[in-house]
Amino acid sequence: MEYVFHIIIMLNIYIMLVLSANLTIGMANLLTMCQAAFYGIGAYIGTFFLTQFNLPFVVIAFLVMVITGTFSFLVSFASVRLKDDYFVIATMGFQLIFFTILYNWTDVTGGPHGLLDVPGIKLFGVYELSGVYEYLILSLIITAIVVWLFHNLASSPFGRVLNAIRADETMALAMGRDTAMFKSWAFFLSAAIAGLAGVVYASYNSYINPNSFKLDESIFILSALFIGGIGNTKGPILGALFVVIIPELLRFVGLPNTIAANLRQIIYGLSLVLVMYYRPQGILGKTILK
Amino acid sequence: MIGQFVINGLITGILYSILAIGFALVYNTTRVFHIAAAGIYVFAAYMFWLFASRFGLPVVPASIIAIVLAGLLSLITELCVYRPLKNRNASLNVSMIASIGLMIIIVNLMVMFFGNETKVINSSIVQPLSFGNIIITFPQLLQAVIGVIALIAFVFVLQSTGWGLKLRALSADESLFETLGYDTYRTRVAVFLASGALIAIASCLTVYDVGLDPNMGMNVLINAIVAMIIGGSGRFNTCILGGISLGVLQSLTVYQFASNWQNAVTFVVLLLFLFLRPQGIAGYKQRTV
Repeated sequence: MEYVFHIIIMLNIYIMLVLSANLTIGMANLLTMCQAAFYGIGAYIGTFFLTQFNLPFVVIAFLVMVITGTFSFLVSFASVRLKDDYFVIATMGFQLIFFTILYNWTDVTGGPHGLLDVPGIKLFGVYELSGVYEYLILSLIITAIVVWLFHNLASSPFGRVLNAIRADETMALAMGRDTAMFKSWAFFLSAAIAGLAGVVYASYNSYINPNSFKLDESIFILSALFIGGIGNTKGPILGALFVVIIPELLRFVGLPNTIAANLRQIIYGLSLVLVMYYRPQGILGKTILK
Repeated sequence: MIGQFVINGLITGILYSILAIGFALVYNTTRVFHIAAAGIYVFAAYMFWLFASRFGLPVVPASIIAIVLAGLLSLITELCVYRPLKNRNASLNVSMIASIGLMIIIVNLMVMFFGNETKVINSSIVQPLSFGNIIITFPQLLQAVIGVIALIAFVFVLQSTGWGLKLRALSADESLFETLGYDTYRTRVAVFLASGALIAIASCLTVYDVGLDPNMGMNVLINAIVAMIIGGSGRFNTCILGGISLGVLQSLTVYQFASNWQNAVTFVVLLLFLFLRPQGIAGYKQRTV
């Protein structure tokens, strides 16, 4: 049973990550390849706060979200000035620079060995969470809040402006909306949620290393998003479900581990190609990437 | 000492240039961000290893087989993915996502058949040549000579043949190209064949020296894309300029700092170019950029 709960916790983390990617990619039509960098920033900064200070979780989550969000201004600055492929390659550059720093700044990040013994989350500053059950409940609550937030965001004034930017940025600008500012806040929120997922992951796993936050992870999040669908809430949730459940199904069928790892990657790749051909908005998605 | 680093950088730069041209052939003419090129690079390396080490063929025929097969794989990506997507009027970003999917499929198929560990093709040790205090190993010499020949051949084809003219015309304006009665699809077939072959040449030359593993593709491809952007987008010859600048720059980074900061310096330079001079050193100013 603990094994099932572990999968549900990972599923919750991926739901947050894929939803956060959907905010910029699906709603604002800005294809970013650096979601794993924000995930990593959240994890490392969260670890720093958890180790150094004895703060309640709500405070730590807030601080991590604000700091991770602040890093997103580096990317949104690029989004104002660069278009299409140049923006994609700039976000890839951001992701790779981040990984290089994580990997080589050994004094602070632990380098390739990562950080061991990340403390558990303290709910009110006293009670330290441990064990799968407590993290299951915590991750379910956080994910429910995030899902609720993104679900309502779509119909909020903010979400409608993003939708207008996606449809026609020049028109949104002509209607008197500061599109650059709206995009920046979309990035801020997206990075903040990815950072939140990072803290939960770091303290649940109690060990982090740079390999969880490299370009492949960003591409993995992107695949989940595009398979599930972009532009609404149910698409990303389905995508996260797809990428988390497939490996377990393969294990269930009884394939040897060495083949199963590659086979599931091939399944992701193939689904990505097929979905892009037959249903470019994704299985349950609403909008098509322009 | 610094001379040695410059020479190393030049030779790496030649390989970057070839790969960058292979990417730019597809990117400039079809506008698809051809990430599957990383998969083709890995595929070519494994085919080279398969025929040279497993089947024991001499290096030259093995590499020719690898180049032909990579060209065919490149053509398959066009016929099975890019062309159907284009016929459906899919946006370029959708094609790019499909291209990522293709890359994942190809790389993981290679891992599935050949395993995850690093492999070497050339394990013999030949006495390196030394000019004064500059040392060039035999594989490096091979890379430099064959690389330069490939680049000169490409530039000649581009500048002086009808096919090169078609290529430049297609990359300048596709609808005009079609209006004048040329067949875009037929030209694209040639473009993808040539692109696959060039990627394979870069791949074979690299892995003959340093060996191969399935995860190398993306990193090399990103360097090639950076080379293309630094050199100047929208043209082909500028890739050589960008590739060699990038190679020397990276080599000097190793000389000045350490090799583990190479990537960071590369991307800081890329970001500087993107913000300050997005058309690259010798590119045309484009309105979309």
